[in-house]
Amino acid sequence: MKKLLQNSAFLSLLIALSAIIFGYWLLQNPRSTLAFLLTLGALLAAFMLDIPRWLKVLVGGAILLLVVPMAGFKNSFLFELGVQTGIYAAMALGLNVVVGLAGLLDLGYAAFFAVGAYTWAIFGSKQANQFMPWHIFPLPGAYFYLFMLVAVVMAALTGVVIGSPALRLRGDYLAIVTLGLGEMVRVLANNLDHPVNLTNGPQGITPIQRPPIDWFIGLFDRFGIHMSRAEAYPLFFYFLVLVIIGIVTLVNIRLDRSRFGRAWIAIREDEVAARAMGIPLLPTKLLAFATGASFSGAMGALFAAKQLYVSPESFTLIQSIMILVMVILGGMGSIPGAILGAATVTILNVDLLKTASDYLNDLRNAGFVLDLGIFKYNFANLPNQLEPAKYERMVFGLIMILMMIYRPEGIIPERRHLAEMKEKA
Amino acid sequence: MSEAILEVNEVTKTFGGLVAVNQVTMHVERRRIFAVIGPNGAGKTTFFNLVTGIYKPDTGSIVFDGEAITGRDPAVIAAKGMARTFQNIRLFGSMSALENVMVARHVHTKTSYADALLHTPRYHREEQRARDRAMELLAYMQLDHRAQELAKNLPYGEQRRLEIARALALEPKLLLLDEPAAGMNPQETEDLQRRIVGIRDDLGITIVLIEHDMKLVMSISERIAVLDYGKKILEGTPEEVQNDPRVIEAYLGPGAAEGVQ
Ligand SMILES: Nc1ncnc2c1ncn2[C@@H]1O[C@H](COP(=O)(O)OP(=O)(O)OP(=O)(O)O)[C@@H](O)[C@H]1O
Ligand SMILES: [Mg+2]
Repeated sequence: MKKLLQNSAFLSLLIALSAIIFGYWLLQNPRSTLAFLLTLGALLAAFMLDIPRWLKVLVGGAILLLVVPMAGFKNSFLFELGVQTGIYAAMALGLNVVVGLAGLLDLGYAAFFAVGAYTWAIFGSKQANQFMPWHIFPLPGAYFYLFMLVAVVMAALTGVVIGSPALRLRGDYLAIVTLGLGEMVRVLANNLDHPVNLTNGPQGITPIQRPPIDWFIGLFDRFGIHMSRAEAYPLFFYFLVLVIIGIVTLVNIRLDRSRFGRAWIAIREDEVAARAMGIPLLPTKLLAFATGASFSGAMGALFAAKQLYVSPESFTLIQSIMILVMVILGGMGSIPGAILGAATVTILNVDLLKTASDYLNDLRNAGFVLDLGIFKYNFANLPNQLEPAKYERMVFGLIMILMMIYRPEGIIPERRHLAEMKEKA
Repeated sequence: MSEAILEVNEVTKTFGGLVAVNQVTMHVERRRIFAVIGPNGAGKTTFFNLVTGIYKPDTGSIVFDGEAITGRDPAVIAAKGMARTFQNIRLFGSMSALENVMVARHVHTKTSYADALLHTPRYHREEQRARDRAMELLAYMQLDHRAQELAKNLPYGEQRRLEIARALALEPKLLLLDEPAAGMNPQETEDLQRRIVGIRDDLGITIVLIEHDMKLVMSISERIAVLDYGKKILEGTPEEVQNDPRVIEAYLGPGAAEGVQ
């Protein structure tokens, strides 16, 4: 059996078959959580296992570009899941540069997400009229793409502003200071509704313009697929997120394999030795910090357009921690790890825990009685407080503890981190 | 340009109440092999840390290649052409031997951030150049067969050589070696000795080395400075140092010199 599993041809067949079966199942039952997870499992297996590259591309393309979108038409929740996963994955990849490569513990990462989100929210809504002349706002939706770049720049600049004092500190001190400065951004967003109304304070900003998609609808029309605007936007954002993940991954890989990536890893491993080899400490750290921030900023702009609404509540410390959890769960410094971590946490968060809650609710409402002879329990008596969705944070806490005990290097460890961990052990 | 590549003038460094380096003055001429010796805790490594900028001296000044570098950032000093190795080997353990050497090519690689993102021709050219030079240096230190090996997996002697290869990648004018032969067997030490002379002769690099192996020190150094309790008690040729009673006392304790003579 073991030998069979090492046989590439057999593995390929297994993966191709499971992708087809699970994918077909998902198409037939777009609301089945199990079918969805198994389909993603096939995708993951295709990526991780030793099979020919063309098959990896084929399985990945078929699942991401055909199965999920087609199932998503019948159950648009899948798009929501996909887009959220994508946004978090891109942010996890950004934080991966900061924490994974450069070894800088940043607990204020959501601040850059906020900067990006507000950058588009303010100018892509009527909000900017509050403090700008001309009354030309909101800007037309086509400006969204430009503002994604603006958001990247703004977030990177914020990264430099926050990083310049913070990065002089190390380890725990850096974590605490970034936490504080990150919270400051949220507090600013909360309070900058006076004297000049920049952010509209706690009420937040809405509605926010979305990029125009007539061309997108037209494109599908030509292939005989007709969509309303409301149907097309989730699909559009899904594809947009896929493209962005592609770009962000490429950026990550390229930086990793450049002199900058080497400098970050050198600093992470030994600051003294890195400096003695001519690597300037603060500029190199700032570069990592700003790079990570810019990823977060871009996703913030996308988030604003997708949600149509931003408010300070979306950018709390818990958000920052959540993204850190994704990076650590997946494996610090590991690019596929960051994506997998983001997918795991998001799916657990918005799908699995809710599904489990719904399931228990159904049992309760039906008055289901569990009868094990000596032990009898009527689910009608199940207290509300026991819903898994309410235990989100505890579940993550548990996962993190188990990971730290059994697999501290993450699910898909990065070669170098693995080496470092073994060295310390 | 002055004859001395390194001029250290009356430099002092204290840690709390301990004077680790005390009013030390040292001038190292170009293309010399210069040794710093002294008993354990004499302040030799601290002296290196002062010269390379890792510590700031309390008083005194340091001039490197005609330029004052007192209190400058270690990365800036390194970029000016001063490289070093560490007594307690400080390689980047999770990187391959090749990557370790390439890290030190940082200042000589002219790739901008945009080049790295867009994979411009310049990126490919510079990356290739860095890799080629790193391979050359690995080969020079007889480590080319280890290029892809993780640094932490190399045997001790090879780690020491890798540190030298990495330091050479800075294309330094001055190379500081902190106990390069520590932990090596006699065969390795002999190879190392030849290599050090080669670095000076082939590459024209000035070398300052700290070493406890007296055979090595006496056979390759042209000048030797002796530190004891942070103070420089003597400087001279190997012959002068070898026969000086102060050196024997520093190593073996007061009164020892008489017993020897
Ligand atoms: N960072 C530091 N903080 C406090 N004391 C220090 C520090 N660095 C060195 N010392 C002390 O300074 C003195 C000189 O140490 P140093 O490492 O320079 O000696 P050394 O001559 O290199 O000795 P060895 O031959 O054992 O390497 C020692 O007493 C040491 O304990
Ligand atoms: Mg020492």
